[in-house]
Amino acid sequence: MPQTLSARAPRLIHPPIVAASAALLIGTLVTDVCYVRTLLFQWNNFSIWLITGGLLLAAAAGLGLICDLLFHRGGPISPARFALVAVAALLSLVNAFVHSRDAYTAVMPQGIALSALVALILLVVVWLGCNITPVREHTKGDRS
Amino acid sequence: MTYRTIVGGCGLAALMALTACDKAPAPPETQYGANPLLPQPRQYLLPPMEVPLAVGWQQGETPGVLPGLQIHALASGFAHPRMVYALPNGDVLVVESNGPPTQAYRPKDYIAPVVKNRAGAAAKGGNRITLLRDAGGDGKAGLRTTFIDKLNSPFGIVLVGDTLYVADTDAILQFHYNPGQTHIAEPGVRLTELPAGPIDHHWTKSLTVSPDSSKLYVGVGSNSNITENGIAAEEGRAAIYEVDRATGAKRLYASGTRNPTGLAFEPHTHQLWSIVNERDEIGPNLVPDYLTSVKQGAFYGWPYSYWGKHIDVRVQPQRPDLVATAIAPDYALSSHVAPLGLMFSAGAGLLPDLADGAFVSEHGSWDRSPLNGYKVVFVPFANGRPSGPPRDVVTGFLAPGNKTVRGRPVGLALDRTGALLIADDVGNVVWRVTPSPR
Repeated sequence: MPQTLSARAPRLIHPPIVAASAALLIGTLVTDVCYVRTLLFQWNNFSIWLITGGLLLAAAAGLGLICDLLFHRGGPISPARFALVAVAALLSLVNAFVHSRDAYTAVMPQGIALSALVALILLVVVWLGCNITPVREHTKGDRS
Repeated sequence: MTYRTIVGGCGLAALMALTACDKAPAPPETQYGANPLLPQPRQYLLPPMEVPLAVGWQQGETPGVLPGLQIHALASGFAHPRMVYALPNGDVLVVESNGPPTQAYRPKDYIAPVVKNRAGAAAKGGNRITLLRDAGGDGKAGLRTTFIDKLNSPFGIVLVGDTLYVADTDAILQFHYNPGQTHIAEPGVRLTELPAGPIDHHWTKSLTVSPDSSKLYVGVGSNSNITENGIAAEEGRAAIYEVDRATGAKRLYASGTRNPTGLAFEPHTHQLWSIVNERDEIGPNLVPDYLTSVKQGAFYGWPYSYWGKHIDVRVQPQRPDLVATAIAPDYALSSHVAPLGLMFSAGAGLLPDLADGAFVSEHGSWDRSPLNGYKVVFVPFANGRPSGPPRDVVTGFLAPGNKTVRGRPVGLALDRTGALLIADDVGNVVWRVTPSPR
């Protein structure tokens, strides 16, 4: 029987939040490039707010992942994706401190380098898929 | 303890832990005078910081003073007193003030208020000037009145003849003053506008008058630590202006002075001097705050360079044409002492050793670990120039152990009797230093 989209289709909480976080953190590279090209301070302000937003969403995604595991929605964690996302989050935390410096050294050279590295990692994550665990396979008799 | 304090405290503890591994910087003595030892600038994930908790003065506690001097509170219970000024008839004016409200532009701007609260720097200013009169001659302010009310973050103040000038953060105001007056009700006349909001980072406007009484000099601080609010926000900032008293016409007198918080004329040479607060976040020993004679038309480096031609790479694009003209200041006070008050000695009224030189109050800052400043020093002069290292005159604002702070010295004045008056904006006290009875 063909399966239809229904309320019963299991959903994971964390993947869309990982995707949203990745969007902001990848955007940081764009605003950093704009800063280096123009030296207008406001681009650095955009960058630090994007990093801050990305980190808050990353924390929310972590909570989402915990919920997914607790409520047995997710299967076993994919170690590669988890490692990539965790490294991106840690580098972004460091990057938030770098971007909190005053004026040019907030971005150059460490800031934009970290932003580029994080963007690269997160593009790979987005390519692979933002779910860190697969959807748990429903077996016969599983009611959840 | 409020929730906010707890969160703030935990945050600070975490921040401090991250910076704790740095080795101790060279002591302040290496940065006194004309040739301070300047280490290489560093860029930090977290700049060195130490925030002592403001606790105020307990009953019976006072700052310590040099042997031969004594200190007592002239009056207390002020709303963030920043400046003191002695009128010719013996009355003392106390400017109670703090910066205008700020807006957060970056995430770190949400941390700053937590630090300021802890350090006692966030208290609301009175936006007024209070008059004290020691009617009984017992060193206590018998009469206390609100002299001028409803000011806008005032700081500098100077009386010339029967005209009192008050430097609000956005304008120099002038008031007519009759000797003996205890209240001025008429609103001030705006003599000249000064750079202020919407950011108004360094908001204090210092003020003094030329020896011939014709010109005012006003110090205007930068609008950022180091141009992080954009170079456009620095238009007209970080400079000392000369203002014509008769017309209010204003012209640039010197520039590149990041935050010139005190101006005074040396009494023998009639040369203008300034204390200047230098930049933060490139190390515990960078950049030394300084005391300098102010040369007309001179450029002192900010933001592009410091102590002459040492480039600050944080400022881009650079201006090599301006840096080429930058001159080094005369006398380093060492780093992050935050000088906020400058008063030249007027003879041997206090002590023979303090007859020729400048008193400088060092408010202290949280941008260095270990802490530096938090005292009033005396820079000895000979032939109109500094002639030796600064000497501690009033200390003990930091409690032993440097974990708590009881007061922070700001404005200085010498009253009619030659006593040194000190505004303390954490203790909310005006202190009076006099010779000990023999």
